Amino acid sequence: MNLIRRHFRPEQIRELVLVLLILAIIIFFGTQVQEYYSGRTFNRISTSIAIIAVVAIGQTLVVLTRNIDLSVGSIVGFTAYFVGTQLSRNNDIPPMMAVVMAIALGAAMGAVNGVLVAYGRVPAIIVTLGTLAIYRTMLVEYSDAKTVLTSTLPQWVQDLPSDNVVSLGEVDIRLMVVVALAVVVLFQLVLTYLPYGRRLYAIGSNPDAARVAGFPAQRIVFVAFVLCGALSGLAGFMFMARFGNVTVVAGFGTEMQSVAAVVVGGVNIFGGSGTPIGAFLGAVLIGVLEQSLRRWPVISEFWRDAVLGMLILVAVATDAVIMNRLRQLWARSELQMEIPSAPQPVLAGVDPSLEVDALSERQGEGKHVS
Amino acid sequence: MTEPILEMRHISKRFDMTQALDDVSLSLYPGEIHALVGENGAGKSTLIKVVTGVHRPDHGEILLDGKPVHIHNSQEAQARGIAAIYQEPMVFPDLNVAENIFISHRDRGLVVNWGRMYKDAAAILAKLDVGLDVRMPARGLTLAAQQAVEIAKAISLDVRVLIMDEPTASLSAHEVAQLFRLVRALSRQGVAVLFIGHRLEEVLEIATRVTVLRDGKVISSRPRSEVSAEQVIRDMVGRQIEDFFAKSQIERGELLMSVRGLSKENAFADISFDVYRGEVLGFAGLIGARRTDVGLALFGVEPADAGQIIFEGRDLKLRSSQQALELGIAYVTEDRRQLGLTIPMSIATNITLPTLRNYLTGLGLVKRSDEYTAAEQYRQRLSIRADSVRVEVAKLSGGNQQKVMLSKWLNARPKLLIMDEPTRGIDVRTKAEVHHMISDLAAQGLGIILISSDLPEVLAMSDRILVMREGRQMGMFNRQQATQENIMTAAMGQNHLVMETQP
Repeated sequence: MNLIRRHFRPEQIRELVLVLLILAIIIFFGTQVQEYYSGRTFNRISTSIAIIAVVAIGQTLVVLTRNIDLSVGSIVGFTAYFVGTQLSRNNDIPPMMAVVMAIALGAAMGAVNGVLVAYGRVPAIIVTLGTLAIYRTMLVEYSDAKTVLTSTLPQWVQDLPSDNVVSLGEVDIRLMVVVALAVVVLFQLVLTYLPYGRRLYAIGSNPDAARVAGFPAQRIVFVAFVLCGALSGLAGFMFMARFGNVTVVAGFGTEMQSVAAVVVGGVNIFGGSGTPIGAFLGAVLIGVLEQSLRRWPVISEFWRDAVLGMLILVAVATDAVIMNRLRQLWARSELQMEIPSAPQPVLAGVDPSLEVDALSERQGEGKHVS
Repeated sequence: MTEPILEMRHISKRFDMTQALDDVSLSLYPGEIHALVGENGAGKSTLIKVVTGVHRPDHGEILLDGKPVHIHNSQEAQARGIAAIYQEPMVFPDLNVAENIFISHRDRGLVVNWGRMYKDAAAILAKLDVGLDVRMPARGLTLAAQQAVEIAKAISLDVRVLIMDEPTASLSAHEVAQLFRLVRALSRQGVAVLFIGHRLEEVLEIATRVTVLRDGKVISSRPRSEVSAEQVIRDMVGRQIEDFFAKSQIERGELLMSVRGLSKENAFADISFDVYRGEVLGFAGLIGARRTDVGLALFGVEPADAGQIIFEGRDLKLRSSQQALELGIAYVTEDRRQLGLTIPMSIATNITLPTLRNYLTGLGLVKRSDEYTAAEQYRQRLSIRADSVRVEVAKLSGGNQQKVMLSKWLNARPKLLIMDEPTRGIDVRTKAEVHHMISDLAAQGLGIILISSDLPEVLAMSDRILVMREGRQMGMFNRQQATQENIMTAAMGQNHLVMETQP
């Protein structure tokens, strides 16, 4: 037990629980839905998860600092539409250029949030609720309520959703899924091995202490918002490529899905703990559930959202209970401070040559005054 | 002796009405454990804030290694080797011990080398003789262990001056012993420690030099070998009482309230006293004495766990402030802005808020004119300086806000009035008015509990004084016995030094 406690954080145990839960759900629906274990099911679920997972990683960075970004849905929509329009106007834009454009645009929109939250000291929920509406309106204005059509996009974009990296029988690992996995791994490494990542945790863990700890807390929060915007931009590009037709409601509701994935994935909504892998697992859990419920005739489509919502509540509640238990277990461990020397008498450390005015002898008498 | 690391020369700092620091000079030598003691408001906190760059001094200079420096914020102070540890440790609960130690370092490469970090952290802790697993998340650590982590962090940053602001306030005796071992280890390594403490026996145990601050001035600064507990207490007190309005002698009336063995977990234990009509019972003690908690318990806001409250001969189980108010107990809070007043609302609405039920029409609507009439009475009676009772409270001075707050509770016609720090932050003239008012109220037959950290005020205003220290009742003094020395001695937990005590 001590070995486990020494080398794992409680969060890691929790992620293991999440993996088991996902497996349980998959096994359950395997018995309920016909032809559940098929390449088609896997492909559909994995591509739908890929986009939300990328946004969830961005959301994780922001939530770790005890903030929230509600504008991600509009950033996804705006970048998807903007890049889509550019590509249909000029089919010769190189693929890399289009991706960079989406990421840069998203980063710029994230930077606006970041400046207002980190330097303007406006609560993130207010700032991003505002930009959620503003960016969506910008999209409506910019698009003139027209739609980007698949047929106008260059061929490589149309082919992108079905591009495979590897195929194992009928199971295809799509390029978009690989991109999402790469983002997860990259940010898992960033948060584990870069001082920047550790300080994100520190800020969310104790903002007051972060202010006096001697590192640029404001800049770190600002960069978190920029990165979240950039990842939302990337997700916007993936959205455009996957659906082809981009309307003014593109990415609608992504903010709630990403927050749900992050919370289910064990990222503390009050900051300080959680990992990109956890958020990814949260996205997987929600994605699998959503797609599976869709094909489960027992539950009508009107009840689907309610079931999903209840599952999220249950997940968060159990999470709180489990984490509390785990933390207590870790805290109670006998690895706590050990005191090598026996407790000393009160004045033992003082040089005996000093005038010791019999304080210790008289201490016992202090009480009977009253 | 060697050259001092840090030298403060003639530091003065003024906030509005109060001279927080007045020509303070202090030197910290390597390896020295310099204790700073003083009453509440003596200027200790301001001095720390000046050294760590939170406040800029009005006059005077700070010298580091003999060179004048200007420190603008805590980052700069840290970069110059000055660190502060507060009562509540500033650790990051979600990070582990090693991360907490190294989170502020800039010179540890682009990538976190976890293996090396654990090794270095373990080495630092070993040097301090602290047996703490570096992989433990800080969340589960005891307060003492968290402080050990902070000290380790300070050492790893090559701190040369460590300021400890009441680090022992929430530690057990055993943990204090551990902390002191660490502090001594630090001083052996040549770090200068500035130790602020309220527990005199601890201060005398750890310090190599003791400096006493009073009213922003350095009263004395002597090596530990030349001071005694009596001496320190004498230096801490000794303010003039003559300037204060003293309560007029009133025939004490019948018994109003008896409290026996009142206790609340983690707050106070075994508090017993009586209050009579026409009497002012003072509650003296230092910050952290938990006097406010007793006040809140008597008002039913934070009910006590155990003990007996007999009010007008009835055994009470106080569970809410409404109940207390109906019985005739009112509590005037020390925290005007947060708990006492609704700042953006008018004087009249503030005064009638707890008793709004008395100002309703038959339909259950608030009758404005009645409100104004009632409020107007108090405006005249307590001479609240405002053109009308419709003026917003936000526009009033602190002293007048205090009067509005008092009116609000007087309007509830209490029999027992608990006043928590009624004169904090108000000017001398208003202070005298408040004192006059307290005296008048007592003359009208109210029982008054006066919680105050201002020692001369408690002495001048109270018929009897109850002294608390860290949630315990240290003594009850009547007017003849109550001297500044006696009260302070009890408040510092040095009761055995009191010569005359009540049986």
